[in-house]
Amino acid sequence: MASLRAKGSFKKLYSWLPILILYISVLNEFDLNYLNLKYFSFNFPFILIFFFTLKDFKHFDYILVFFAGLFNDTVVGLPLGLSSLSYTLICISAAYIRNITIRPNPVKDWFYFLFIISLINSLNYSLLSLFFEFELILMNFIVNTFFTFLFYIIFVSMFKYYLKGLND
Amino acid sequence: MASSRDDFIIAIRSAFLKKSTQQKFSLLTLASISVFIIVLSSLDFKAVRYLKAAISEIVYRSSFVVSIPENMAKSAFTEVVEYTTFFNSFKKNSVELERLKSDYVSNEIIQYENKELKELINDYVSSSDKILAKIIVDHDSPFLKSIIINKGSKDNIKIGTNIYDQSYLVGRVIEVNYKTSRVLLLSDLNSNVPVTIAPQNIQAIVTGAGSDYGQIKYIKSGLTEDLVGESIVYTSGTGAIFKSGVPIGILQSFKENSVNEYKVEFYSDFSQLKYVFAEIVTKKEISQTIENNDSNEINNPIDAKIKILEDELKIIEDSNQKFQVENDNLKNEINNLNFKISNLNNEISSKERTISQFNLDNKELEFLRLNLEYGHKCRKSFLNTKGYNVGSENYKTCVLNRGKN
Repeated sequence: MASLRAKGSFKKLYSWLPILILYISVLNEFDLNYLNLKYFSFNFPFILIFFFTLKDFKHFDYILVFFAGLFNDTVVGLPLGLSSLSYTLICISAAYIRNITIRPNPVKDWFYFLFIISLINSLNYSLLSLFFEFELILMNFIVNTFFTFLFYIIFVSMFKYYLKGLND
Repeated sequence: MASSRDDFIIAIRSAFLKKSTQQKFSLLTLASISVFIIVLSSLDFKAVRYLKAAISEIVYRSSFVVSIPENMAKSAFTEVVEYTTFFNSFKKNSVELERLKSDYVSNEIIQYENKELKELINDYVSSSDKILAKIIVDHDSPFLKSIIINKGSKDNIKIGTNIYDQSYLVGRVIEVNYKTSRVLLLSDLNSNVPVTIAPQNIQAIVTGAGSDYGQIKYIKSGLTEDLVGESIVYTSGTGAIFKSGVPIGILQSFKENSVNEYKVEFYSDFSQLKYVFAEIVTKKEISQTIENNDSNEINNPIDAKIKILEDELKIIEDSNQKFQVENDNLKNEINNLNFKISNLNNEISSKERTISQFNLDNKELEFLRLNLEYGHKCRKSFLNTKGYNVGSENYKTCVLNRGKN
């Protein structure tokens, strides 16, 4: 009985893993750049949010994504609400592509993801530099977008394993 | 064509408004709330400020806890690297320590003099305390270079408080919460520090490059040629944002497109910071300081100086009063003496008169005696035709001359 309960809690925890990872990543803000490569960075929350919204994952609550954005803004020091808006826009884009797609194609999703993150990063750059008068390096945003796009395919394969494990 | 537009509208509406069974809010609501929060956070309302501070307190603490495993891994790696180079760095440090010890004493004196002079220039007295602060979050974001420290408004941290690594400048506080603060590092693109480049004494602005070095900006044209590598860069204090004379880094020259370019290599390695010092500065007007001098404890040189001057003034006033009393006494004495002198003078003159009268009488008496004795020899008579008439001056002279002979 106890083992069954433990198994149940583990499954529950496992099913909430994407949200948990999202919160850890925004609070920790890790970018895996231990080699100190110039401009290297990628946005892991973008990949995670896009993928799980695209898959309409039932334990991926939008309000939690919204709060994750607020946490990210606080940690990074961006104006409050900016990351929440970015994350919500990713959710909207992913929900839109999910609604109009009859036969999903990973490569199409991948390039659509590139388009969306370019758009969102441009919006972020414009808002920060025009309205909040932040001094920013455009190259950082371009490289970030590029690496996020590259890493998407790697993380997607990992997430697919996770979903497979959950369904099994 | 119309059906494809309908599909698009349906998909959009579905994406924005449709809530699945698990979702409590539609994405359109969340997006609107986000925009509302952005607008609110850009306006500086008191309620929003408190709310932000509360969120920051919770998030920074959570972030610290979540970052523990990564930080442990990082520190373990750093420790391994440090152990492998331990002996070499020990030898290097020993030599450096000896050199620094000799410089220390003269630096102390210079610092004291400098402090005193600065306080004389300013119209206020500044006293500063450095408090130790632990870095709880130091995420190396590619966009913003900042750290979070565990000291806030509770510890008198204010926006603009200067943050140091030992005596080197690290940055300044840009956001203050109750028990935490965000420090904008010098390497951030938004950081601008007015500096002096020594020994050329050139004024410039150092801005962060978004990397681990700073850039020299806003330098007067023509002065760039005077710059030399290895020059010391320290704060000039212009604008009163940063305290003057705080070391920042060393100027390094490099070639870019066959043109000499310069960058500032910071003394402090911002990626290795664990603890920093926050300088709490309190300013007091000099006039107030003098008024409250008696009640306050003397804890700075200008107070001590004023106290010494006041004591000196009191002593001078006291001795001046004594001198005045003494002076009055002496004046009285002089008057008395003058009076005495005038009396004596009168007495002398009366005595002189008496003496002269006596001398005159004595002369007369002598003449009469000689006249009795030699009068007949000088008197003109029938027998003595060469004599003089009695009573004439020649007769008198003749009587006296006869007496001498």
